[in-house]
Amino acid sequence: MDKHMNQASPATSSGSTRALRLVGPALWILGLLIPQLLSPAWITIGGIFAIYSIVALSQDIVLGRAGMYDMGHAVYFGIGAYTSAILSLYFNWPILWTIPVAIVLAAALGAILSAPIVKLRGDYLLVVTIGFNAIFVLAMQNNLFGMTGGADGLFGISGPTLFGHMFGTQSDLFYMNWVVLAVVLWLMGNLDRSSLGRTFRYIKHDELAATTLGVNARNYKVAAFALSAGLAGLAGTLFAMQLSAVSPGSFRFTDSVVLFAIVLVGGQASVPGVLLGTAMMFVVPQIFTEFAQYRYLAFGVAMILVMILRPQGIWPARKGVI
Amino acid sequence: MDSILQQFINGVTVGGIYALIALGYTMVYGVLKLINFAHGDLCILGAFIGLTVLTSGIFGGLSTPVLLILAFLIAMIVVAVAGTLLDQFAYKPLRKAPRLSAVVSALGASMLIQNGIMLIWSPNVQVFPNNLLPSTTWQIGGAYLSFVQLLIIVGAFVLMAALYFFVHHTRVGTAIRATAIDQDAARLMGVNVNRVIAMVFIIGPVLGAVGGLFIGLYYRQTYFTMGWSYGLSAFIAAIIGGIGNIPGAMLGGLVLGLFNAFAAGYVSSSWQDAITFALLIAILLVRPTGLLGERVAEKV
Repeated sequence: MDKHMNQASPATSSGSTRALRLVGPALWILGLLIPQLLSPAWITIGGIFAIYSIVALSQDIVLGRAGMYDMGHAVYFGIGAYTSAILSLYFNWPILWTIPVAIVLAAALGAILSAPIVKLRGDYLLVVTIGFNAIFVLAMQNNLFGMTGGADGLFGISGPTLFGHMFGTQSDLFYMNWVVLAVVLWLMGNLDRSSLGRTFRYIKHDELAATTLGVNARNYKVAAFALSAGLAGLAGTLFAMQLSAVSPGSFRFTDSVVLFAIVLVGGQASVPGVLLGTAMMFVVPQIFTEFAQYRYLAFGVAMILVMILRPQGIWPARKGVI
Repeated sequence: MDSILQQFINGVTVGGIYALIALGYTMVYGVLKLINFAHGDLCILGAFIGLTVLTSGIFGGLSTPVLLILAFLIAMIVVAVAGTLLDQFAYKPLRKAPRLSAVVSALGASMLIQNGIMLIWSPNVQVFPNNLLPSTTWQIGGAYLSFVQLLIIVGAFVLMAALYFFVHHTRVGTAIRATAIDQDAARLMGVNVNRVIAMVFIIGPVLGAVGGLFIGLYYRQTYFTMGWSYGLSAFIAAIIGGIGNIPGAMLGGLVLGLFNAFAAGYVSSSWQDAITFALLIAILLVRPTGLLGERVAEKV
C-alpha cells in the first residue's frame, strides 16, 4: 500500500503526511477563529505570525530548498515594505495596488544581486549577503533619494481599501494575512511537486550531477533568489500595512539571522518545520513577555540545544524525496 | 582634513586590532571550516572584563602600569576559558553534524554571550576612564601619534610576530597548519586533532581579548553589541586575506584598517560599513579565495 502510494505521488508518500494534509488545513481553519476567541493582542500576534511565516517560507526556498546560504533575506522583506510605503505615501497609490510592484521590485532585486554571486562557495555567499543587508540598512538610514525617512522610517501608511471601504482594523488585517498565508502555503506545496522544486533540490544535493544532466545551475539559483525575494516582498507589503509604518530597525542583520535560524531550527525544506520555527521565534516570546529582556538569551540557548539534539531541525523534511 | 600620514597611522592602529581579532576567525575556520560567529562577542567580553579590572577598585593599591598588565592578563584568561567552554558545549557535539547546524549553534552562542554581557553590565555604553594611559602625543611630520596608538601598534605587531613564529617554527604550530590543510591526513600523521582544536580555541580568544581591550582603550568605550560590528569587520578582514590563512588574516586586517581610515577621511563615515562590504565584494569577485588564499579545486 505504502509502496504503491510512493509511486503514485512521490511527494505524499507516507501515511503521516496524508494525515498532515488534513491537520494543516484544519489548523488553518481553526486559526480563522482567533479574532472571535482571543484578545486583541493575540489577533495582532496572529497577523504578525502569518507575515513572518511567509518571509521564513521564502527564506526556505533559497536556503532549505536550493541550498544557498543567504543571510541577508531581510533586504527583500524590507524592499517590499518600503516600496509599498513610498508608493502609498508619496504617490497616493491605494496600498493593494502596490503589492504587484513590491513583488516585482523585490524579485528583480533578488535576481540582480544574486546573479554575480551565486557562483561563490557557501560561506562566501553568506558573508556577501550579510554585506547586502548592511548596505541596505545604511541606505535606508541615510535617507536614500530623500524618500526613506532616515533612521525613523516612514509612518502613516493606511490600510487596504476595497469597494470604497477601508479594512484597517487588526482583525481585518489578520484575515487578509491569514488568507495570503494559505495562498503561499498552497504555492509551496506546488513547488514541492513541480519540476522547478525538484531542480532546486537536485542542485542543492549535487550541483555537479545536475549540471552534467544539462541543468543550468546558475540560472536556477538566480531563479530561486528571485522567487524567494518576490515572496518576501509580498510579506513586506503586508508588514507595512500591519504596522502602518516601516523603519530600518525591522530589516537589520539580526532579523536576517533570525530568519536563517528559523529555517534551520525548524527543518530545511519542511513547511511544518518552518512554521514551527516561526512560532518559536515570534509567538512563544509573547507568552513570556515579563521575561522580555531574556528573549535573545533564551533564543541563543535554544538554538544551540536544538542543533545539538536535532541537527536536522525539529521537524525535518522526509528523506529520499528527489 | 587630516594628512595622508595621519590616515596611515589611524589605519594601522585599527588594522592591527582587526588583525588580532581576524586571527581567531581564521584559525577556527582553518581547522573546523566553521565561521565562529561568537568570536567577536568573546573579544568584546575581553573589553568588559578589562574595564571591570581597571575600574572596580579591587586592585586599588596598584600602580597604573601594573593594573593595565593585570587587566590584559585577566581578560585573556577569562576569554580563553569562555572560548574553551564555547567549543566544548556548542561546537564539539556538532563536529559530525551538517555544517549549517554548527553555524546556527555559533549564531546562538553569539546571541547568548552578547545578551549575557548586556544582563551583567547593563545595556548602556560603558566608558573607560580617561586617566588610565598617558596623554602623551608625538608629532611626526604634521601627523600625531598618541600613546594609545603606539601601544596598540606595538602590541599588535609583537603578538602577530610571536604567533607567526609559533605557527611556523614549533611542533604544535606545525600541527595546527597541518590540520588546517587536511584534517584527515594530519590525523594519519599522528597529529592529535582534538588537541589542535582545543589549542585554537585558546590562542584565538587570547588574541581576541587583547584586540577587544584595545578597542575599549582606543575608543574609550564599550557596549554589548560592539562584538557584532567589530567582529564582522574582523571577519571580513580574514576573508580578504584568505580565510584559513594566518598571514592572510594579518594582511587582511591591515588592508581593511587602512582602507577604512582613508575611506572615512576622504569619503564619508556614515557609509563606512557599506564601503567595507563593497571592498569585500569587489575582492571576492576578482579573487574568490581572498588575497593570500590558495586556489583550490572545490570539494564536491
